[in-house]
Amino acid sequence: MVNVHPMDEGYAGFCRDESRTQGSAASISFPVSEDEVRALMRQMSAAGTPVTVQGTRTGLAAGAVPAGGHVMNLAHMDRVLGMRVAPGPDGAAVFCVRLQPGVVLANLRKYLADKSMPTAGWDAESLQTWGELCEGTEQIFPTDPTEASATLGGIVACNASGARSYRYGPARPHIRALRVVLASGETLALERGARVARGRGAERTLALETEQGRRMDLALPSYEMPRTKNASGYYIEDGMDAVDLFVGSDGTLGVVTEIEVELVSAPAVVWAVSCFFTAESQALDFVVAARPELGCALAFEYFDGAALGILRHQKAAGAGFASLPDVDPAAAACVFVELGCADESEALAALERVAALIARVGGSEDATWVARTDVDRERLRFFRHAVPESVNMLIDERRRTDPAITKLGSDMAVPDDRLHDVMALYRETLAEAGLESATWGHIGNNHLHVNVLPRNAADHARGKELFCCWARAVTDMGGAVSAEHGVGKIKRDFLAVMYGEGHLREMARLKCQLDPQGLLGRGNLFSAELLDEERAACAAAAGEKGCALDAAAAGSPAGASPHAAGEVA
Amino acid sequence: MHVVVCVKAVPSTTEVRMDTVTHTIVRDGRQAVINPFDTAALELALRIKDAAGEKGAPAEPVSVSVLSMGIPDTERLLRDALSRGADAAVLLSDRAFAGADTLATSYALACGLAQMPPADLVLCGKMAVDGDTAQIGPEIAGALGVPCVTDVRELAEVGAGRVRVWRGCEGGTELAEAPLPAVLTVAKEAADLRMPSIAGVRFGERARVRVLDAPAAGADPARCGLAGSPTQVVRSFVPQRTSVAVRVEGTVAEQAAQVADLIEGMTL
Ligand SMILES: Cc1cc2nc3c(=O)[nH]c(=O)nc-3n(C[C@H](O)[C@H](O)[C@H](O)COP(=O)(O)OP(=O)(O)OC[C@H]3O[C@@H](n4cnc5c(N)ncnc54)[C@H](O)[C@@H]3O)c2cc1C
Repeated sequence: MVNVHPMDEGYAGFCRDESRTQGSAASISFPVSEDEVRALMRQMSAAGTPVTVQGTRTGLAAGAVPAGGHVMNLAHMDRVLGMRVAPGPDGAAVFCVRLQPGVVLANLRKYLADKSMPTAGWDAESLQTWGELCEGTEQIFPTDPTEASATLGGIVACNASGARSYRYGPARPHIRALRVVLASGETLALERGARVARGRGAERTLALETEQGRRMDLALPSYEMPRTKNASGYYIEDGMDAVDLFVGSDGTLGVVTEIEVELVSAPAVVWAVSCFFTAESQALDFVVAARPELGCALAFEYFDGAALGILRHQKAAGAGFASLPDVDPAAAACVFVELGCADESEALAALERVAALIARVGGSEDATWVARTDVDRERLRFFRHAVPESVNMLIDERRRTDPAITKLGSDMAVPDDRLHDVMALYRETLAEAGLESATWGHIGNNHLHVNVLPRNAADHARGKELFCCWARAVTDMGGAVSAEHGVGKIKRDFLAVMYGEGHLREMARLKCQLDPQGLLGRGNLFSAELLDEERAACAAAAGEKGCALDAAAAGSPAGASPHAAGEVA
Repeated sequence: MHVVVCVKAVPSTTEVRMDTVTHTIVRDGRQAVINPFDTAALELALRIKDAAGEKGAPAEPVSVSVLSMGIPDTERLLRDALSRGADAAVLLSDRAFAGADTLATSYALACGLAQMPPADLVLCGKMAVDGDTAQIGPEIAGALGVPCVTDVRELAEVGAGRVRVWRGCEGGTELAEAPLPAVLTVAKEAADLRMPSIAGVRFGERARVRVLDAPAAGADPARCGLAGSPTQVVRSFVPQRTSVAVRVEGTVAEQAAQVADLIEGMTL
């Protein structure tokens, strides 16, 4: 039995996420098993109550912020279920770990790093596999978003990325299998390679079958995705795998109740270099030149002069960054490069290549910090985290005078050949609008977080306008409006810019096929109004075809109407 | 001016493994790091060198050497020190040095110093995180017959034949002065060691590390290693945690009453 608690003050925090958006809900539950999730979903769909799924609410796009109805928080589903060895992408055997969605990334990392896994209740194959893993080279889950308190469920739902996504890609390719509970309470068991889409373009379909034996032939949207890092809307492609539809679906298609991730062997030697440049153009030239020549690069991260300046200022003001090395005031840009090599001689050769590249763009190899020891690696990690933190501190200072001020952070990516163009766009338009900013992010993937730092409400409004203008320009460059945080509720206007309303409606229709009542993640990706229009259209079409939809599907969901608290069997 | 920094390879974790038979610290060389106190000493030395290199500085050039006694793999750590700005490195490595207590170690280091250009200043870490004795610096000073200032927190002035430093003392810090040559032992909080640049790494990899065995160091075998160590370790053990924490909860008044009870119950 699962307790459904009324959403009283004690649970107020569950109506917000890290985007600081405030939502509302009538009730909340904390299921611990898939059976409980199914029971809850059955009860909610019978009552037509919308359900917002949550991990640890570190999301930055308000995806986990409820728009009425019920909150289903999965943070207590945090068991590691087992392991196996399976053939990986290139045929070689890889270790796979099965997890509940509430497992927190930091814990998974710690279990693997310390070779100390909570294996209680595991079967013999899992235990044997774990023994093999402990004997061999270090294994890692390569997706490394900065906020390690995110859950694996949230990481899957947002197709999260991190610095090392330059080498390993986003979370998607490392997700091998999923179990999903649909709005109806039925379950899908999806394993990569088992079900792929058929047809091309507008004719694409994907056949799914629930474990309860219901077959669905999903008509897939017709859009083409940008060839960049991308977490904007559903993953749709010719021949796509069913698993990929649910990765990055922002909690709108089903509740992910089990995840199988693939591990990769950690590089034997990891060195990092922070390269400081006196001009931003040098940093851009460096990255463009380095990408094809530095095959062992795991990550290229960027910090602009404004971000370095804020860090320098906060350090001088005694803000707890005393252990950081001083950044030379002449530094106008910094590129952090992480190198993953088989041994130290390979790493030394790579370092020499970095030096040659720096020289080629007019920089100095003396203006570098090389991290080869744990202490130095930790200092560079701290440095990278201190930059956003120092900017947040600045914003917090400003909020004291004007509480309406919040930081506006962009999350857009463009193709490799548009890096200089997008940077020029950011610089010109920020200067025209007279806005203060600090920029950092994943420059290897042409994916920068430009943070507008408003001084007042007018700045805030201008910043928002600017983001819409960037969404259009980035789309024209063949880019993505959300590269890693997902669309959630606060970026759906950008999604409309990126795909156009027609394609947005196709996405909504896809959702209606899996969630006819439109209950899951309401307000994510598209507005509730647009979704309800498409639901009505789908219901009408289904009626014409004579195939009866669930009776409740035709009515409007219970919306924000309070749902009675109680217990679900 | 010649500054020599004595550095020691220590295990990267604070979990020290003891050899149950010999009662010496197990050193397998894996993941060894420079003792954190010694990294602070190295940074202070590099700052002295930087200051001498600045425009308008009274121009006596400063060179910094690093000296260590350790297994051959310690060379890696000396190269790391070179990459961060040290100019020369000497490693004392010989089976004869193995199993040394602090007396035998400081004897070996003094022999090493004798093989280098005369040092005006010898910097050591205040202590090593594995052995925790804080004896090496004062013993080297004893062996050389020069003054020693321990627990240095900050350099005030170096030059003109003397050094002035702020050192830790009960209740704060005090200014101490010593004529050169002298030995200083440095507190961990004195400085964070700088990071190397790519140019520094290249220098560190290419530089020559002088490796001296006991004969080359001119060391008397009877005063080295186990043979030269009068310290007898009778037993070594991991101490049991005996203190307990009591959580005090409730209203302020309740908490105050509980704290009062606790104090009363203590035999002070
Ligand atoms: C300081 C900071 C740094 C960050 N850095 C990064 C970064 O480097 N890269 C990056 O990608 N993100 C980053 N993020 C954003 C955030 O951590 C990620 O989006 C993360 O994936 C969210 O996980 P969560 O468990 O907090 O999910 P939540 O915020 O709780 O939920 C996010 C979305 O996932 C859905 N969801 C959650 N669990 C499930 C499930 N089991 N089934 C179906 N849907 C589900 C929710 O409905 C919601 O739409 C950062 C956030 C912060 C605060």
